[in-house]
Amino acid sequence: MKPFSHWAARTTTHCQALATAPMPPTPDRPQPGSGSVSLHAWAARLLAMITLTLLLPGRAMQGAESRPSGWEDSIVEMDVTRKQYDYTQPWTRRMQSRRKAGLVLEGHEILTTADQVYDRTLVRIQKRGRGKWYIGDVTWIDYHANLAIVTTEEPGFWDDLKPIVVPEGRSPSESMQIVRWREGKLEMRKAEFSQYTVDTGDLSFVPRILLEISAEIQGVGWGEPVFSNDTLIGLSVQHTGNKISVLPASFIRPILSARKLGTYRGLGFFDFFWQAAVNPASLEHLKLKGEPRGAIVIEVPSHPDQTPVLQPLDILLKIDGFDIDMQGDYQDPDYGPLLLENLATRGKWAGDAVPMTISREGRELEILYRLPKAEFSTSLVPDATYDQAPEYLIAGGFVFQPLNDPYLKAWGPDWKRRSPFRIYYFNNQAPTPEQPALVLLSQVLPDVYNLGYQDVKYLVVKQVNGRRIARLEDLHAALENPPDGFHIIEFMESDSLRRLVVSAADLEAATQRVLQRYGIASDHHLSSESPAETVTAGKP
Amino acid sequence: MTLHPATASAKTEPEQSVIHIMCFSQEPDWDAPWRFSAVRRGSGSGFVIQGKRIMTNAHVVSWDRQILVQRYQDPRPYLATVEFVAHDCDLAILKVQDERFFEGLEPLEFGELPKVRSTVVTYGYPAGGQQISYTRGVVSRVDINNYVHQGNRSLLGVQTDAAINPGNSGGPVIQDDHVVGVAFQGTPGLENTGFFIPPPVIRHFLKDIEDGAYEGFPQAGIRLVPLQNPAYRRFLGLPDNDLGARVDSLVEIPSTQAVMRPDDVILQIGPYPVGSDGTILFEGNRVFGAMAFQEAQHGEEVKLKLWRDKQETTVSLPVYYYEGDRTAGNQYGSPPRYFVYGGLVFTPLSMDYLKTFGRNWADAANAELVYEIFYRRHEDPEQTRSEPIVLADTLADEVNANFIIHRRALVDKINGIRIDKLEDVIRAIESNTAAQHVIEFIPHNGFECLDRADAEQAASRILETYGIPKDRRL
Repeated sequence: MKPFSHWAARTTTHCQALATAPMPPTPDRPQPGSGSVSLHAWAARLLAMITLTLLLPGRAMQGAESRPSGWEDSIVEMDVTRKQYDYTQPWTRRMQSRRKAGLVLEGHEILTTADQVYDRTLVRIQKRGRGKWYIGDVTWIDYHANLAIVTTEEPGFWDDLKPIVVPEGRSPSESMQIVRWREGKLEMRKAEFSQYTVDTGDLSFVPRILLEISAEIQGVGWGEPVFSNDTLIGLSVQHTGNKISVLPASFIRPILSARKLGTYRGLGFFDFFWQAAVNPASLEHLKLKGEPRGAIVIEVPSHPDQTPVLQPLDILLKIDGFDIDMQGDYQDPDYGPLLLENLATRGKWAGDAVPMTISREGRELEILYRLPKAEFSTSLVPDATYDQAPEYLIAGGFVFQPLNDPYLKAWGPDWKRRSPFRIYYFNNQAPTPEQPALVLLSQVLPDVYNLGYQDVKYLVVKQVNGRRIARLEDLHAALENPPDGFHIIEFMESDSLRRLVVSAADLEAATQRVLQRYGIASDHHLSSESPAETVTAGKP
Repeated sequence: MTLHPATASAKTEPEQSVIHIMCFSQEPDWDAPWRFSAVRRGSGSGFVIQGKRIMTNAHVVSWDRQILVQRYQDPRPYLATVEFVAHDCDLAILKVQDERFFEGLEPLEFGELPKVRSTVVTYGYPAGGQQISYTRGVVSRVDINNYVHQGNRSLLGVQTDAAINPGNSGGPVIQDDHVVGVAFQGTPGLENTGFFIPPPVIRHFLKDIEDGAYEGFPQAGIRLVPLQNPAYRRFLGLPDNDLGARVDSLVEIPSTQAVMRPDDVILQIGPYPVGSDGTILFEGNRVFGAMAFQEAQHGEEVKLKLWRDKQETTVSLPVYYYEGDRTAGNQYGSPPRYFVYGGLVFTPLSMDYLKTFGRNWADAANAELVYEIFYRRHEDPEQTRSEPIVLADTLADEVNANFIIHRRALVDKINGIRIDKLEDVIRAIESNTAAQHVIEFIPHNGFECLDRADAEQAASRILETYGIPKDRRL
């Protein structure tokens, strides 16, 4: 089960009149029938443009604005090389590079987004869009917050850089510009305010505030800063069409401050499902006293070690002092109506207690809801496995892998539709103490040992040799104890194959033969044997 | 195989007995179940068989409002009605009221399963002209094929390179003056592949209807898988030969569960030895073993030779037509059941309903519905509902104006009563005395409440506004 937990996801808008976009200038076009004359005219114009360009060195591309802002000393370009895994052949890897923007902070730190910084092999930093690349070191990264801090020890790097301040509080929304280095020049594009929303990002299931802007620019969303005059508004994190999502400074600043103080424990989230209370008959049924308001809790995940403070059919009336309206919004003092999910990340961290006023069977109660820590590993099918090479185990040509979304994403951008339905559907199912995770028999590398099973694939393993399987480690251990000379592999109940049996004595030889024939260096990669080199959230 | 040349030669040419069928049909709207689509005119073929009957495909006459039949080179249309229809094997029998229709028409006789590589000729009225058309081809392959009309049944089928086009459906495939098949489907994207229904399937259908009712092809409810891995054969104590396929699991059919067990190895089904790949040799063709069960009629027993507990044993397995996956296939004949209350349209979840979502009906957004219809009964038989009900739509009215969940939602409970079938919805609503009706959905226990007094007051208004003749069809 993965929250973003309300029915019929929707965005909450902080409305402002959109400024009318200026009309683009009509391009001069040669008129039909005036070919030879206009050729001359164009040649002359071209010459004039070249002259103009020569006269104004440093001018950015046409359409972009440029000015000596001082941002040149505060924005760096970064190039991150990372390993790219093919989950259909988890033993292979390729390299991929991504250009990103970084912001110079006090204390020899560079702030950027965490996107594409995972599985990194090399981080390089360049000043003023040109010249020497300095080797960077990621000292802190938080994938849920989508933030990372990079530094470098190289001499001279910091000498002529000017730190920027990530401001507190509400950001202005006038005269916004998005800024990046491009071809050695600082490119600035005018941006229009669109709305504030609360939504999940590409990296994490935790919903948090995002600023939506629009700008005539291509290929941003990689940490490029957005300014309003000289104030930092935020970092761009996503770009589709003209729409750019920006992580606001007001979200970033408290995290950076808490990190400095050592009090940042990672983001928390609301793990319950709720629905808006717009149907008055529902509120009447739940015996709410007073005006229609609040959001109705409909499902609360069970935790083996604690009794949840919330119950299904509780009505959330106040969260952290804010009234919840019947849409499930609260009135944010800075941004207007926002989805209640934002109150889990608004200056609060995992483990913090959030005071709530609820109505339960007609009685108002005050409760303290402790924010669970956002962790990928708590889902039955984890959304992400950052900084870990794909795990796998090959036994006699059978390829076993943990079922996770990175595996399913091998089906391409349309993976939710194209991946095999039944294994995708595990995303809709909750983990249990007996089954906290799933292991998939993803494919069979044909060998005489697995004769008759060559076409078996995409099956979730239930047990092996009588032992319940949730992780590759369980499988590894189960294969150590074959009863009576056979390995018995059983799959989850479905309309597909339930059971197969292979020889125990021949397994090792078959595995070696398969590795050699298919050119695979190792029969397994288990993260427990080589834990990821992580700089986790919560450690400054 | 014995042919009867003496009988055949005495007959007139086969085309005299090939019939042009025009069917005017109306399919129900599965998401607005009181409504029907516009009338559609379909054209197909058929042929006269013994007993003054016309044989054709079920899909030619499905959802019929009126059927007209025309003889070879005779302009007069005659009215016909469906006497028997078998959607699982895509066959139907038509009757013509007017006795004159059959005057001078010789019924066509059935032959045997044609040999691969032998030549066949199709007769029919395909698109592209008004006259009868003949196409010649060879039998390319005999195999178990999915019969797309119902969609979730696979029976013996014959592939030919004789052109089979829309309109050919229901027409005879002739060899040596005998019908050796009924043309019925093609494969888009594959060239020169037409399919016809062979004599074993046709004869099974004709035998089934002898008692005046069609039951259908029985299913053993056994998931039979190849048993070719030497280690698995050793594990079961079987010799490493090519005989015997393994029962991997059983469908929830009590009569099968009483006789069979997982890891039984089926060595022989009726007279057919079963290969280690799960196939049998049927009249010179290796086809999947399920074929052997399809020779039996609904309710008959099939003798099986098994390898169980390291020894040979014989059992008798009664086989029946399986109803459990009815809604997972295309349904015909009975328009969808529904109940409209307070503008809420409740109807059974079915494949036909899912198809109203368009091409991408299996989208992640509809995952719960897809899981419920295709997977739950295999994985969670105890929680499986006999007829899962969906809130198909909400007909806008002031009583439901504030519903957030208003369509494509699987209903879990109403007023605390678990909804296993449409009658539960009616019972839960009509027996409620509280001020509100509480409707709970899957997943995540989303719910909506409906004011009872308001809903009752709105009942006739909503039916009238939306032109719904009755609040229910059961």
